[in-house]
Amino acid sequence: MKMLIATDWGWSEMLWVALISICLVFFVLVLLVGVMKLFGCVFTARQAAGRPAAAATGRVVVQGQLHEEEIAAIATALNIYCSAMHDRESEVLTILSIKRAYSPWNSKIHGLTQMPDRK
Amino acid sequence: MWNLLTAGSDFVSDSLLKFAESTGVAGFFTQMGWGSLAMIGVAFFLMYLAIRHKFEPLLLFTIAFGMLLTNLPGANLYHTELFAGGHVHWDIFVANAGLLDYLYLGVKLGIYPCLIFVGVGAMTDFGPLIANPKSFLLGAAAQIGIFATFLGAYALGFTPTQAGSIGIIGGADGPTAIYLTSMLSPELLGPIAVAAYSYMALVPVIQPPIMRLLTTKKERKIKMQTLRPVSKLERILFPLVIAVIISLLLPSAAPLIGCLMLGNLMKECGVVDRLSKTVQNELMNIVVIFLGLTVGATATAEAFLNFKTLGILVLGVVAFCMGTAGGLLLAKLMNCFCKEGNKINPLIGSAGVSAVPMAARVSQTEGQKADPSNYLLMHAMGPNVAGVVGSAVAAGILLSFLG
Repeated sequence: MKMLIATDWGWSEMLWVALISICLVFFVLVLLVGVMKLFGCVFTARQAAGRPAAAATGRVVVQGQLHEEEIAAIATALNIYCSAMHDRESEVLTILSIKRAYSPWNSKIHGLTQMPDRK
Repeated sequence: MWNLLTAGSDFVSDSLLKFAESTGVAGFFTQMGWGSLAMIGVAFFLMYLAIRHKFEPLLLFTIAFGMLLTNLPGANLYHTELFAGGHVHWDIFVANAGLLDYLYLGVKLGIYPCLIFVGVGAMTDFGPLIANPKSFLLGAAAQIGIFATFLGAYALGFTPTQAGSIGIIGGADGPTAIYLTSMLSPELLGPIAVAAYSYMALVPVIQPPIMRLLTTKKERKIKMQTLRPVSKLERILFPLVIAVIISLLLPSAAPLIGCLMLGNLMKECGVVDRLSKTVQNELMNIVVIFLGLTVGATATAEAFLNFKTLGILVLGVVAFCMGTAGGLLLAKLMNCFCKEGNKINPLIGSAGVSAVPMAARVSQTEGQKADPSNYLLMHAMGPNVAGVVGSAVAAGILLSFLG
């Protein structure tokens, strides 16, 4: 049987293509749901197995496994704490010119650390 | 002296006439001159929307400027005849090509949309999708709009390949729409890109009425269970597994999915931070400029000012609405099989139409209108990124059938 090219398609072919396509989209994504569920089971089991050991070593929270909401709560609490701690400054910046007379104590040349002379 | 001057008068008048004819202004008085003028008006309008109202400004602005450049008579920056019949006519290319013709090769050869996908992948957090894989189903349901519109476009007289390109607007994914259209029906690239990006910007206007219409207040108040934490290893394995599975099942979707997952792996593996930052910023920005300009350049008066464009704009909004409704209805259906306390808020179903992250934000906003203490954003990000994968899969399927 000769395969029709897309330009010659009629309603029958269009309906079939639409139906098959949507079924394929669902098939592929359902397959991915299955794979990811499997992944989830494996990793949740791994995390559950690793938890007592972590607690015993005192490392309860593993880096990267802190929940987003917990991170947000900690960040907010820190922000509130830091803003409450911070004293209010005048916010006025003043530049005072200071006359520096030459002295060997602030001279760059004399202030350079001499390299040790290895012999 | 006088005789010399009068003898050359014919030469002067001919030269001036020739010069006047060579200017762009004379082009406005030719057969399609009014069309060019109208398209310049459209370009200014789109630029107004992008600058004044910030409608997807990154792309709408560059598209509008490309549209302006291509419709300036005599500028000769873009030539449709070099890409006539869906092929690059290399024999006359070098002799005739303008700047935008060279840049358009990136669209024609499917390079820019894939590079954009690398950047999108590097900016996307697939964590909510990994934590709740059921979101993939909502992403699939939202693709119904693509295939319904595919049939609708055929009913309106478009060819099957054109119908496929118009349907993909419902995927609400700009690079995917551009990729598929440049492969199937490049003659519609301008109107389809403008429609896709305009509707993506209008997601907060289009979706909420459909969301409120298809859900009850009780459903909108559903609070979802907190997502489980996702380990780094899962985040690293996810892009690898998805790229391999989809590329094996649908090789035609491999360029898009492969690039999306490459970008994501760069971000998640944590050892190529420099590359990850580059694809998220510099590369993405450069490609957006080229893509926008060249897609806008395809919107010539001949290609844009016809009833087909009107049809595309109408079908595009229909595709969006049907995709939104598809996601919402499947979420409601899934609730019939879920235990109490494990129910899905149907509002997150509408985020399955891609349009990352705008659609997820709309779900969050609508959820908070029903219950201000309800936070749906992270839950909605799952279907949202599943929609990106779903629309790339749908594009791959359409490409394998119609290409």
